[in-house]
Amino acid sequence: MRVLTAGALAGALILSVSAQAADKLVIAGRDGGFAQALAKAVDLYKAKHPDLQIERLELPYGGLYEKAVISLREKAGAYDVLMIDDTWSVEFMSNGWLADLDKLGGGIDADFIKPTVDVARFPVGSGTLYAIPFVGNVELFAYRKDLFDKYGLARPAKWTDVVTAAKTISEKETGVSGVVYRGTKGNPIVTGFLPILWAHGADVVDGKGQAILNSPDALKALELFLSLKAYAPKGVETYNASEVRDALMQGTTAMSIELWPSWAPSLDDPAKSKVPGKVEVIAAPGQVKGPAPMLGSWLLAVPADAPNAKGGRDFIDFVTSKEMQKAIAIDTGNPPTRASVYKDADVVAKYRWYPAQLEALMTAVARPRITQWSKVETILGDYLQLALVGQMKPKEALEEANAQIDRALKR
Amino acid sequence: MHNPSRSVPFVLLTPALLLFAALTLYPLARGILLSFFVTDYGFAGARFIGLENYADLLGDRFFQRASWNTVAFTLLATAGEVGLGLMLALMVNRRFPGRWIVIPSLVAPFVLSTMVVTAIWRAWFHFDFGFLNNLLRAAALPPVEWLFDPNIALLSIVLVDVWQTTPLTFLILLAGLQAIPLEVYEAARLDGASPRRMFLDMILPLLMPHIFLAALLRSIDSFKIFDKVYALTGGGPGNATETLSMYVYRLGFRFFDIGLASAAAVVMIVIAGALAAVYAARIIKGADHV
Repeated sequence: MRVLTAGALAGALILSVSAQAADKLVIAGRDGGFAQALAKAVDLYKAKHPDLQIERLELPYGGLYEKAVISLREKAGAYDVLMIDDTWSVEFMSNGWLADLDKLGGGIDADFIKPTVDVARFPVGSGTLYAIPFVGNVELFAYRKDLFDKYGLARPAKWTDVVTAAKTISEKETGVSGVVYRGTKGNPIVTGFLPILWAHGADVVDGKGQAILNSPDALKALELFLSLKAYAPKGVETYNASEVRDALMQGTTAMSIELWPSWAPSLDDPAKSKVPGKVEVIAAPGQVKGPAPMLGSWLLAVPADAPNAKGGRDFIDFVTSKEMQKAIAIDTGNPPTRASVYKDADVVAKYRWYPAQLEALMTAVARPRITQWSKVETILGDYLQLALVGQMKPKEALEEANAQIDRALKR
Repeated sequence: MHNPSRSVPFVLLTPALLLFAALTLYPLARGILLSFFVTDYGFAGARFIGLENYADLLGDRFFQRASWNTVAFTLLATAGEVGLGLMLALMVNRRFPGRWIVIPSLVAPFVLSTMVVTAIWRAWFHFDFGFLNNLLRAAALPPVEWLFDPNIALLSIVLVDVWQTTPLTFLILLAGLQAIPLEVYEAARLDGASPRRMFLDMILPLLMPHIFLAALLRSIDSFKIFDKVYALTGGGPGNATETLSMYVYRLGFRFFDIGLASAAAVVMIVIAGALAAVYAARIIKGADHV
């Protein structure tokens, strides 16, 4: 009798737990602008499923990574949907921490922009689908159309055109620097340098995970990057996002080699910008290879240990549908990941640079698919800045960075 | 026969000794052990590599520069703070009108949090709009690249540290000056000693323990400098202002290279230990006189 009672109790408990799991959805995502997009998505989903209890966590970059890794490593089953940065995806996918989305049903349709889907698969590009792209972030390039017209300069197609234009404008236009970028060491300086490096046909590591920064092409790229400093504002070594945005909005620079979609709206806002409508946003220039803008996408995934995996998958399908991406983009400015949304007349009417953003996304390059990227990025950032402040020769900086990265990858 | 009075000191010391063992000796021993391994967390999965971490550190230009920067910062900041603190203490030691407002004003920077102080100075250091360069321009002098000239950036951080913490050395030295009995001054004056002789032969020797204490407190604090560098330059430009604390933090908490971070921390302890030994020898010597 006692055994029967215990069995019945256990059964009831299991039933209640699974019923509870299906009624509840725990979503962990980023804070700031990303949070607005996810909050809007949750609101829209809730309107469709009024009985579902949804818990949404808003976390800063480092906090989200830490919480996600701890929960996934310990198989704690804390989340049903996780928002992840594309540089974390290799670690998460290769460790088997994410659920196979094909097995959960649904697949992914061809409307999603290819480079954003490639990083959601493991092995990259061809393997199992582990996530769906949610934020189509990509590094863009900005230039002052009025100044380019004034000095008879064409839209820069190559990085060498950028150097020429920067020289011309900084020499002729008083109070305006030729170019601006984020010179702070670490992620900022690396982000500005990567599209130049890739356009020169070089890379940080190859497909086998070997450091390859000591190539002649990488040296050409670094020399070009360093040549921009002569036309940049004084103190560009300490510039970060706020200084770059200020320079663009105050009209004190002719170009920014880096512009993120979230910075773009304020450039046209007369309340914030002194040059509304004069800044043209385009895909980054190329060099020996075509344009290679840096992909900075965010993905939505279902953890392998999610208590409500089916619910998680359904939520992701809903919020990444064409209608929802359009609604979220118009309402919050979240960059979509479907090509059709970038071509939608209503969306383009609100964000005039979307055709250029789509062009950039189509040719976007993802950062190396290695688990130790943050370490490699820090090392590269240190040496790039040593070269920028003139404490090391470009060749010496690349060779030493290469050796340090190689060592870090082998440890 | 057992003497209860002999065990009392040990019983009374036990809580402090236990805390010292748990919070200082254990982490220290663990850190030293970890410095011989490659590991991203603890000993689980760690690989023994002997002295390789130390060899790597010695060959790393960032580590060499961080060590040099830390020692240079400690010496310059301590000398600046004690020197300036002494001058200010001598100035306000005698009574003068308005002294009641001068002393609190001198202490004011010390009550601000470091984050507030760095925010203020970041604005003052701004190349184009900063208060300091505006002053220089007004005096028809060229503006200075306070935070992005690799040769000046560390000195700029020393300047901020001196501004914020001189009040501490000032208070210690003022207390020291006020503890010198008035009779000493009177006797010297009666003997016809000049102010310079009075300072060098009487005030300075009597003030020495206080100068020593101020230098000890400031150098210990300066050696672990992290917050001001982190907020003002992030260790840049290049590695011109990176300090050992920042270096260890980066290895440990950004790279999770715990073995190498532990080795760097051990080297840091050795350098700090050598600095502390100078003071310890002095204190022991001083104690002998008592």
